[in-house]
Amino acid sequence: MKALLAVLLVVLLSVLTWAAGTVAQAQTSFAGRTITIIVGYPPGGGYDVMARLVARHLGRFLPGNPTVIVQNLPGAASVVAANQVFSAARPDGLTVGAVNRNLILGQLVKAPGIRFDMARFAWIGSPATETTILALRADLPFRTPADLRRADPAPVIGATSVGGSTYDFPLLLKALAGFNLRLISGYRSSGDIMLAIERKEADGRAGSYSSIKAFIDRGLVRPLVRGFASVPAIERLPVDEDLVGDPRARAVMRLRSVPEVVGRPFLLPPGTPAEIVAAYREAFRRMVADPEFEAEAERAGFELKFTPGDQALRTVQEVLSAPPDVVRVFSQFFRFE
Amino acid sequence: MLLEAFVGALFEVLRWDALSFMLIGVVAGFWVGLLPGLGGGTTLALMLPFVYRMEPVAAFAFLLGMHSVVSTTGDITSILFGIPGEGTTAATILDGHAMAKRGEAGRALGAALASSLVGAIVGAGALLAAIPVVRPLVLTFGSPELFMLAVLGIAFIASLSGRRPRAMLRGFLAGALGLFLASVGQDPQAGHFRYTFGSLYLWDGLDLVPVLVGFFAIPEIIDLAVRGTAIAGEAPRGRLGGVAAGVRDAFRYFWLTVRCSLIGTYIGVVPGLGGGVAQWVAYAHAAQSVPPAERGGFGKGDVRGVLGPGAANNSKEGGALVPTVAFGVPGSSAMAILLGAFLLVGLTPGPDMLTKHLNVTLAMVWTIVLANVVAVGGSLALLNHLARLTTIRGPLLIPILALLTFVGAYTANNSPGDVVTMLVFGGLGYLMVRYQWPRAPLVLGFVLGEIAERYLWISVARYGAAWLLRPVVLVLIALTVAVIASTLVQYRRAAAREQGA
Repeated sequence: MKALLAVLLVVLLSVLTWAAGTVAQAQTSFAGRTITIIVGYPPGGGYDVMARLVARHLGRFLPGNPTVIVQNLPGAASVVAANQVFSAARPDGLTVGAVNRNLILGQLVKAPGIRFDMARFAWIGSPATETTILALRADLPFRTPADLRRADPAPVIGATSVGGSTYDFPLLLKALAGFNLRLISGYRSSGDIMLAIERKEADGRAGSYSSIKAFIDRGLVRPLVRGFASVPAIERLPVDEDLVGDPRARAVMRLRSVPEVVGRPFLLPPGTPAEIVAAYREAFRRMVADPEFEAEAERAGFELKFTPGDQALRTVQEVLSAPPDVVRVFSQFFRFE
Repeated sequence: MLLEAFVGALFEVLRWDALSFMLIGVVAGFWVGLLPGLGGGTTLALMLPFVYRMEPVAAFAFLLGMHSVVSTTGDITSILFGIPGEGTTAATILDGHAMAKRGEAGRALGAALASSLVGAIVGAGALLAAIPVVRPLVLTFGSPELFMLAVLGIAFIASLSGRRPRAMLRGFLAGALGLFLASVGQDPQAGHFRYTFGSLYLWDGLDLVPVLVGFFAIPEIIDLAVRGTAIAGEAPRGRLGGVAAGVRDAFRYFWLTVRCSLIGTYIGVVPGLGGGVAQWVAYAHAAQSVPPAERGGFGKGDVRGVLGPGAANNSKEGGALVPTVAFGVPGSSAMAILLGAFLLVGLTPGPDMLTKHLNVTLAMVWTIVLANVVAVGGSLALLNHLARLTTIRGPLLIPILALLTFVGAYTANNSPGDVVTMLVFGGLGYLMVRYQWPRAPLVLGFVLGEIAERYLWISVARYGAAWLLRPVVLVLIALTVAVIASTLVQYRRAAAREQGA
């Protein structure tokens, strides 16, 4: 009887371990499945190019080597895509969202149409940072922040639209750091501002370092100030928040900059099982360190730096718990778009 | 020196790898152009990952080969079915599809293809000619000049409206409605939401593709259903050929074709106007240049209404490459994607492209020309078969056309809202056709309204009122006045003659 019990126990145990094994395998292996990355922008922009780059390589690093495809779901600065991933997508690891880094600020200032909570997504992380800089025409006599405080007449800073880093970065410098700047918004794209700078309609612009780099190298513009997030090439530029004394002003500038550390957010629907999230974070970590991925990302102009999901989530919580008086000042300058 | 490099670049394009990539691109572009909704820009973005490991010349042979035939074959769908094959080929519907309904599909297609080829060659020639003078060419056009260009384009509404006071009033009202529709969405200056009614879909404004697909395709489908015949149902049998006649038309009105090619090129060169504008301005110019006595037939199947946009939508691509290559500033959304390809193959657009990497630039010129020769040649071979599609009975064709229309509206952004937009504009388009309101002024207002608003804002913010005194602005103001005045004078004379007769 005892022997029978022992045999039964052994059988039961082995069945259980076998079952547990298959379950675990089913949860973390994507063999034969197709994963869809939903991008919140139309084809061709930075978010789309990054998503397609990830789609080319991610399959190699996920268990079961699945096929990864990209689907564009543009609209409302990727609010549409984020709403979709948050509430309509199944939390089975087969749908990934690639969305606007500033959604978190949109949530903070309660922009219309947002039906998601950034803190509740299952964050994979971000493979790259984005650094905002202010650059002025190199033939103008501005070399330091002090020169821009004294500038007279005020140099013309071209911007795309109210909201977005081409506008709010110089606006904060003007309002809080005493820079004498004249902001002109309405340009169609950052490329169009660059052309306006060439024909001396504008004297400079703010924007991501990766988009201005070629024009710095060519000697057209000179970088003067950067935001908090950084890459080695411009590490030594003055940082905007160091140019203000008032702690609240510092906090406002930091709030604008922080999402740039998580420059290219990738996220899974809320409630995705922990094993799947862990598999994704591990796959992204290995992918960003992969020489082939690195080489292609560099050619596409990205500043690779992996921010894992838990760290990204902490950043999100930090932004969302900003003191009300800081948020109030911030809302005066920031418009989500 | 330049000539030597130019010939050398031809041989680089003719190398087997570049040539075979170009042919693959042409075949892909052929289908992308034919299918509504699958746009040239989107397809370029989808193809980008394939160029990571290609040589620059081969990569651009592939991408440009594809992109430069899209407008050519897009015209075919527009003419045959009245569904815009591309957002950039909608203007050929007005007269091209009217000709198809008269049984002259072959002639319309021949004219579109011949003018496409002329346009492509002129555009490529412009890219070549621009190499020494590219800086002044692009830099003389600041925001004030761009605003006045848009105003000049809007002034063409006068000649698109017909000459009876009633018809003219309707044209102006349609144009005003177009300007109004262009203002929907988050405004680019202060970020206010205009006429969005709390919907996320309207944040970004109305998308051109679903608007055009609905506006032009739905009335044609309804018309086909009501008539119950084939597209060319009323045409006498045996008049379907005429491809050669269409090709001859392109040379009969050769100067019109060339002028419209130049208009397209110039609109392409000036960044900030966008890809959809060239065809409509060329169409308006073609209408303007037709003597008033013959203008009654315009919009009802005049071959000149095919030649103008047919030439311009091809020539603009060569033009749009100029600022892309020389400044790294894209002239259209497709060029913005192509700009990404430069970086992927290790090139930085800018002055270097005209010196150190001149061979790549010149290879692009050749690619545009060769790809269009191949596409036009291939299309001509198939043309009589294609034209026969217009004799298929309506009830068989309608489900396919309806499917293409829905898919065409939906795939641009994967948005159900686009299908609703398409249907709403389909209804509007049908009513306008039914009650004889001209549709072209509405589209002209819609595509130019956003541009005019944007650059007026920047001009005033930057220069105050002083922008009005800039020399090029003064010239453009004079041209605008001349366009309106000459139209009015022409109409008055025609009216006087009629009274005298």
